[in-house]
Amino acid sequence: MAEPMEEFEQELPGEKPANTSTDNGESTDQQSMDSQTLSAVLQFLRKNNLKGTEELLRKEANIQENPENASNTDQDVSSVLSAYTSEGDPLLYEGQYRNLMSFIGSSLDATKCELAQILYPVFVHMYLELVYNDHDNQAVAFFSGFSDEQESYHEEDLIKLSAVTKKCHMRHSELMMNFRTSKYVIRMSRDSYSALKRYLQDKQNNTVLNILEEHLYIDVFDGVPRNKQQIDSKAGSIVGEAKREANKGKIYYGLLKEPDINIQIDEDDEGGEGEDKPKKKKPKKDPLASKKNKPDPNAPPQTRIPLPELKDADKLERLNAQRELSKRVHLGTDNLPSICFYTFLNAAQSRLISVDVSNDSGLLAAGFSDSNIKVWTLTPQKLRKVKQAGALKEIDAEADDVLERIMDDSTATDQRILLGHSGPVYSTSFSPDRKFLLSSSEDSTIKLWSMHTYSSLVAYRGHNFPVWDVQFGPFGHYFASASKDRTARLWATEYHQPLRIFAGHLSDVETVRFHPNSNYIATGSSDKTIRLWDMNNGKCVRVMTGHKGPIRNIIFSPNGHYMASTGEDKRVLLWELRHGNLIRELNDHTEPIYSLSFCQDGNVLASGGLDNCVKLWDVKKIFTETEPDELSSTPAVVTSSASNVLLGSYPTKTTAVYNLHFTRRNLLLASGPFTA
Amino acid sequence: MAEKEREVKGCLTQESIKVIGECVGVSSLNEEAGTLLADDVTFRLKMMVQEAAKFMKHAKRVKLSTADFDHTLRVQNIESLYGFSTEEHIPFRFASGGGRELHFVEEKELDLSDIINSSMPKIPLDVSLKAHWLSIEGTQPAIPENPPPVDTHTQKVESQDALRTKKPTAKAEKKSGKGDMGKTAATLLAKAKGLTSDPVKLKGVLVHELSVEQQLYYKEITEACVGSSETKRAEALHSLASDPGLYQVVPRFSMFIAEGVKVNVVQNNLAILIYLMRMVKALMDNVTLYLEKYLHELIPAVMTCVVSRQLSLRPDADNHWALRDFAARLMASMCRKFSTTTNNMQARISKTFDESLSKDKAPLATIYGALVGLAELGPEVMKTLVIPKVRMLGERLRIMTESLIINNPDKIAADHLKQLVQKHCAPYLKGVRSTPDVLHEYEEEFGYLGPFLFSHVTKLRFQPSTVTTQCSSTLTSSRPMITIPQGRPSTIITSGRSLSSSGFSPKTPSSLYSPTGTGLQRTFSSSGSGSTPSSQTKIVLVSATGSGRSSAQTSPVPSGSSTPTPSVFKLNPKSFSKSLSSSLAPSLASSLASSLSSSQTIVMSPTGTVKAERKSPPATASAGGTSSTNMLMSLAQAATMQTPIRSSSGEDHTQGS
Repeated sequence: MAEPMEEFEQELPGEKPANTSTDNGESTDQQSMDSQTLSAVLQFLRKNNLKGTEELLRKEANIQENPENASNTDQDVSSVLSAYTSEGDPLLYEGQYRNLMSFIGSSLDATKCELAQILYPVFVHMYLELVYNDHDNQAVAFFSGFSDEQESYHEEDLIKLSAVTKKCHMRHSELMMNFRTSKYVIRMSRDSYSALKRYLQDKQNNTVLNILEEHLYIDVFDGVPRNKQQIDSKAGSIVGEAKREANKGKIYYGLLKEPDINIQIDEDDEGGEGEDKPKKKKPKKDPLASKKNKPDPNAPPQTRIPLPELKDADKLERLNAQRELSKRVHLGTDNLPSICFYTFLNAAQSRLISVDVSNDSGLLAAGFSDSNIKVWTLTPQKLRKVKQAGALKEIDAEADDVLERIMDDSTATDQRILLGHSGPVYSTSFSPDRKFLLSSSEDSTIKLWSMHTYSSLVAYRGHNFPVWDVQFGPFGHYFASASKDRTARLWATEYHQPLRIFAGHLSDVETVRFHPNSNYIATGSSDKTIRLWDMNNGKCVRVMTGHKGPIRNIIFSPNGHYMASTGEDKRVLLWELRHGNLIRELNDHTEPIYSLSFCQDGNVLASGGLDNCVKLWDVKKIFTETEPDELSSTPAVVTSSASNVLLGSYPTKTTAVYNLHFTRRNLLLASGPFTA
Repeated sequence: MAEKEREVKGCLTQESIKVIGECVGVSSLNEEAGTLLADDVTFRLKMMVQEAAKFMKHAKRVKLSTADFDHTLRVQNIESLYGFSTEEHIPFRFASGGGRELHFVEEKELDLSDIINSSMPKIPLDVSLKAHWLSIEGTQPAIPENPPPVDTHTQKVESQDALRTKKPTAKAEKKSGKGDMGKTAATLLAKAKGLTSDPVKLKGVLVHELSVEQQLYYKEITEACVGSSETKRAEALHSLASDPGLYQVVPRFSMFIAEGVKVNVVQNNLAILIYLMRMVKALMDNVTLYLEKYLHELIPAVMTCVVSRQLSLRPDADNHWALRDFAARLMASMCRKFSTTTNNMQARISKTFDESLSKDKAPLATIYGALVGLAELGPEVMKTLVIPKVRMLGERLRIMTESLIINNPDKIAADHLKQLVQKHCAPYLKGVRSTPDVLHEYEEEFGYLGPFLFSHVTKLRFQPSTVTTQCSSTLTSSRPMITIPQGRPSTIITSGRSLSSSGFSPKTPSSLYSPTGTGLQRTFSSSGSGSTPSSQTKIVLVSATGSGRSSAQTSPVPSGSSTPTPSVFKLNPKSFSKSLSSSLAPSLASSLASSLSSSQTIVMSPTGTVKAERKSPPATASAGGTSSTNMLMSLAQAATMQTPIRSSSGEDHTQGS
């Protein structure tokens, strides 16, 4: 599509303007919600034991718990559901749905695909209406009659839906409640919309009209109707596409200025730490550093998010990292990375779940379903504990090598076990300075471990449900977690309470990732959407739909402009952040993908998962191809052919790929458990 | 697909609820309550399972476990079900009776003292981390940690694909394009396309170049396998049996074995034959290889080692029986692995053995081979093909032993045969015959061997463990004539053909460029050397290229007397034969063939063109072609040197057209 179009948003007659989206962050928009819905939500939260959320919601919406309200709650829920009350003859539903289908079938080719979008939500709501009004048999007949007509990517949800066959079931089904509490968003062109409106008025198709008014939100835009491919690439989420205005806000996707670290480093220090690095290399490094220090126009203000002061040791660390980076192999089509695969043997018994490799590629942590965490060293440097307090006293604190002296050589070992969780460890994450390790577990806690003493330092309790994912921020200090309680939370290591709670996903938040500039976090959820949240104000700034299954992993490109995501739908989707548009879909995997990794220069993307295969993609090509399109805010046609960008496919024997990690020199480390 | 899942109506019935109710002591549950409960429980279970699936997916598993269900219960504030944690699924038992069907979990009563007294279970191995290179700068090294470049399944599909569909060359092109198909291949391909204008699409000739490492490997392995150092050989065989990256080299090994057998059976070089069979065994043992495509070369070779009249220079002293036994076992394992209803391999192989067995004039060694070959194929074959022949066999043995002019080799052969009959038939008979063994029944059924079998069967009945008689060295059969057992080539060729039918040309080394050719030549010139150049050069060339139909006919049908000395050498140098076929018309070829039959120089190619070439290879032949021709000549020379040529009354059978 050519030009950015003016945004039109037309609401159907009868729709209450008060019914604002839940998309834009429940936490901020609560006041405008009508109190009935709000209390129903509260009730729902209570029912599902989401106490933390409930409390927060209460706090934010300024609702005091009053006993009357509590006693009336049952009524409230039913009043939410009562939207489904209908006097319509159950026998009419099938006919009306069939009419709608035939109308869409006979409509113009240009608008057909857009109109077909409403079939699925109308089907779902008609079915739920039938169920609600106790027309059990008709409901089942209706379902079996038309469920096969729906798009294949709705199948999973339809299975869930098919379990709901009784009115009393409705309030227990999470999916059902999602349909009820949020409007299904459909975007269509004005042409399609007017065609639809004409049809509904002509035919007096009241049931469909009602559903459109009550449960659907039609986002109308001017312009050429989209084709099937465009629609399909955006569809799949539980509640339809993202609304247009959801992705309007400006975000700072540039990188932060690299702190100036050169001047503070003593020559002596460098000589000590940098081993036998010749001095003459130093001038070479300077231009590189200065180039990096050019301010990025898209970068956020340096102090937008307060970051901890860099200590001398941190600066040294940074310097080493940069030095390593400058020695990296430049990857490309004719220069593919080497892959080193770390296979976990005998991991079938205790079930490996998650793997993480530290930034400097020196440590590897693995979470197991028997609640253990194991840490391995990947370098000759052994894992040593800090000496006992008594011994530490004798060390001269002023000595240059004090960090070396405090280590107890007698404890050196290749592997350490961290015990403390009481449920499967779903995720681990090293801090950038590799001094700490975070782990999240089924026991709904996040634990911080010291890599000096190999013991647990803090248990962050806040989530009330299993914590699926945790990740350290790119500069340490902050970390984010994703939980089954449908929230993602931002924490700082020094507070036991979360700093931000990001609520808005309609189902489990599966994964969370920091933007490289530490100003945003991205979350992927079972509701098949990806959201980008502003850490500063907790607002959701991007909603990305297009995945057809729960999202398993997200990763940002090193320059912060792009994002890759993957999930149970076996595809990798590439997004650009400026407008939140889908750029490319990569589908060559045959099983769910667990891991993604960009190489250090962002030219190559590696993906791997359950199909025992590591695949490399030439994303540089894709990004350069899409560069011109970036100017327009309309999504380009998304091609899904994988062949011309697939650089290589490297199967393992029977080892699923759980983690991929590019070292600073662009060696790819993969890991996974061998299954006999 | 979900559709399938939806079809399976996973719901509890009212009866189930009733049974469950009875279990917990609610006996009087009325029907309506039962239905309601069933509906509700079904819904709740479904919700639970959906939730549990989330835990399963987060644990990166594909199988729901009881632990997932426990976590789900915990999340929903319901107490976990204790005592149901297991890694594996708990199987339901099924019982029916009194009109009620019941699925239940079996709960065995365990004796605690048993558990206490039993030895401690082994501590499971600790999780460990092992690193290897999955890829080095974009190429995947062929090390044991990595999967074989082409797994057996793909190989299987590939070979069946060729059988089933006439795949356009494009696919083949793409396949080898992954490797290193050079420009030459493309031109060859174009040529092949030009040549085959007929509607049957032929797969283009693929030129497959081996990397230097592979060439070295090939050379080292072949040299070690037939060399003198036993330790080296063991290493080489181990490599053949375990290396995952052999896919590319297998055609060459297959060719090496096939040609090696041909030469050495002529030379009666027992040791080399044994080594070659061990190579076959090693290749068979390699789990990463799927040998179906090479059966047309391997089966003849193995078959030869089973039924050939003479396998060693001193048949009376050497233990060639062991080689026959070994090869027969190999053959049987091939049958088990590759026989399908389509290729009917087992039937054809047993038929070949049967033919050799039923021939009146067949030497005892061949009969021994045929017998052991059949016996290895299993009891069903024993029943239908061996047991009925025992009587006839006995008759022959009787004549032989009773005749006055029995010579030593024959006697030894007869001994071995007897032992063989005892070894295989006695256990079988013990299994199938009813207990009271009656001597005269045996005599009636098995004639001369009856009493012998009877005594052994009765002996077996008393001692449980079978006595395996070890046949130690001996002399052997008769004539110094070298014959590759008749009937053999026909089976083999047809089987080879139909497996890789319809114009699919197997990648055989002869079509390769120099390295392989030279390798082969080297080895052979050492093993099959010393051949005095003969004026009568006989080359019988059965090329493997061409369609299945024609090649099925190509095989010389050595029906008894008509082929006097079928010194038939199969070879499939594609480039060679292609150039031949391109240069000659079929009609010319057949006339040539007949005219040449007097001097016994025949070149056949299944495409219908036949040509004889004395010395120089065709101009277009590649280096590989040249070397293979050279090799062929030396082979042929070797053959003619030792083969007494009997001018036949009948014409040589060349069914070229």
